[in-house]
Amino acid sequence: MSDLLYLTMAAGFFLLAIAYVYGCEKLRGGSQ
Amino acid sequence: MTFSAILLLLCYFAALLLITKPLGAYMARVFAGERTPLQRVLGGLERTTYRVLGVDPNEDMKWTTYCVALLLFSLASLVFSYGALRLQGVLPLNPQHFGATQMPAHLAFNTAVSFTTNTNWQSYSPELTISYFSNMVALAIHNWASAAVGMAIAIALIRGFARKNAEGIGNFWVDVVRCTLYVLLPLCLIGALVFMASGVPQSFAPYTTFTTLEGAQQTIAFGPVASQEIIKQLGTNGGGFFNANSAHPFENPNWLSNLFTLIVIWSIPASITHTFGKMVGNAKQGWAVFGAMAALALAGMLICISAEQAGTPHLDAAHIQTAATALQPGGNMEGKEVRFGIVSSALFADVTTGASCGAVNSMHDSYTPLGGLVPLFNMLTGEVIFGGVGAGLYGMLMFAVLAVFIAGLMVGRTPEYIGKKIERFEVQMAMLATLVLAASVLFFTALSSTYGAATGNLNNAGPHGFSEIFYAFASGTNNNGSAFAGITANTPWYNVTLGLAMLIGRFLVIVPLLAMAGALAKKNAVAVSSGTFPTDTPTFAGLLVAVVLIVGALSYFPGLSLGPIVEHYQMLALATH
Repeated sequence: MSDLLYLTMAAGFFLLAIAYVYGCEKLRGGSQ
Repeated sequence: MTFSAILLLLCYFAALLLITKPLGAYMARVFAGERTPLQRVLGGLERTTYRVLGVDPNEDMKWTTYCVALLLFSLASLVFSYGALRLQGVLPLNPQHFGATQMPAHLAFNTAVSFTTNTNWQSYSPELTISYFSNMVALAIHNWASAAVGMAIAIALIRGFARKNAEGIGNFWVDVVRCTLYVLLPLCLIGALVFMASGVPQSFAPYTTFTTLEGAQQTIAFGPVASQEIIKQLGTNGGGFFNANSAHPFENPNWLSNLFTLIVIWSIPASITHTFGKMVGNAKQGWAVFGAMAALALAGMLICISAEQAGTPHLDAAHIQTAATALQPGGNMEGKEVRFGIVSSALFADVTTGASCGAVNSMHDSYTPLGGLVPLFNMLTGEVIFGGVGAGLYGMLMFAVLAVFIAGLMVGRTPEYIGKKIERFEVQMAMLATLVLAASVLFFTALSSTYGAATGNLNNAGPHGFSEIFYAFASGTNNNGSAFAGITANTPWYNVTLGLAMLIGRFLVIVPLLAMAGALAKKNAVAVSSGTFPTDTPTFAGLLVAVVLIVGALSYFPGLSLGPIVEHYQMLALATH
């Protein structure tokens, strides 16, 4: 159970980081 | 400061300068895809790797593709290491029969994150916790991969400055494979042999038990140490084979291995400044960055070594001789190995925290307050004093963007760097990368300083205890990995919060910097005019140093005041706490 918790936490962080990538790209498009 | 200390510093910087140009030029050729002699030997392996991975080496990736590939690769390797650590009990090369009992879930999370992010913070005693397999596969794979990833990001950012009107910033997989095969592998082979020649063991035999003169049984731990030692230092990883890290005689047996270690740690971070200069077509740009890093490094070394050699009023009050003589080192020797003395220990502390290495050959917790402030401040700059492999350069380029922005504001012109206009988006990205580091360090430090379960794990109260917490999160967020000691970090609280700090400090900095690389690559170069602020001069290097210090001071002065600075004044007043 705790394994699933920690792995989910790690996967969740990387999903947020990928969302951050596209957020930055959107910001770049907006600033041009 | 003693004459021998000055001589050591001169020799050290001379060695770095000797390495920087040839290694930097070689790395520029590797990452530009030019033919090198090693390609004849390893070219087949490189092509096979691409085929196995299904990678088209000619694909030029947009920054978003590059960054997502990096993130997915990091996640996959993190999950692999987590699984291998938790399952070490049923995996091979485990003569000490370590299992999941020694590696609970929160510790496996912290350790897998730590090695994936090039931090190599160790909340555990390796020789009492992890098998040879865990060491050589689950963790050592990151010593290579995380270093190569750091290099790849720096090279992608350089391409952003070097390319004109380009959509792509390179190919992530090609950069990682080339770095591993043509830079890390040959240097590690040579370096491992040097470590073995200086007495570092390399063996798969189980630990040996001896009967001491008193008749007690003593277990001597060893294993494949030399192969891990070299990539640990070269990749600015820092995770030791032994809990005592580079203070352990099997990791760092003598002055020669110590000096070699110091040179190895900064070899790639120093050389990549020349790679930068070569790739942007103006070597002086690289030397300006090198100069700024060297100036910051030298200032820290002078303060740290002087503070440790001066000792403390407590030692004077106890009538202990603190002046160095031919027979004893004087000063503050607490927590330092007698075979290294004060200068080699303090220099090691500066080098390992300037780079995001984290290997230690002395206990930083035992330094004088000002001596301990220097390693802490080195990390708080964001690891740009030569810094981690690749990470140091991309961190310093982030500050360079801020420096030209500030210079542009002062003279009322659009800032430029390496022929590229620095506009709103680039400054936004540089600020996001800068602020996320400070936010993580300060948030987690504040949280842990007020949470009973966290403060209960400290060995010291008062400002020194605060420094222990502050140091831990500075080390974690900035992916250094060294510990101040004095804090029992192997608890669910510290393993989880430090794990999150390491993830934030690594990946939430990389994303905006790669976004900046993508934006810069798309721009055309602007012609040099009389209004262009030259960035390849000592003046710019000075401005860069000032920006690093100002950002560091503004972000962290309150924290430093609560920790080492107030402790320094307490020490002067001979206060006890």
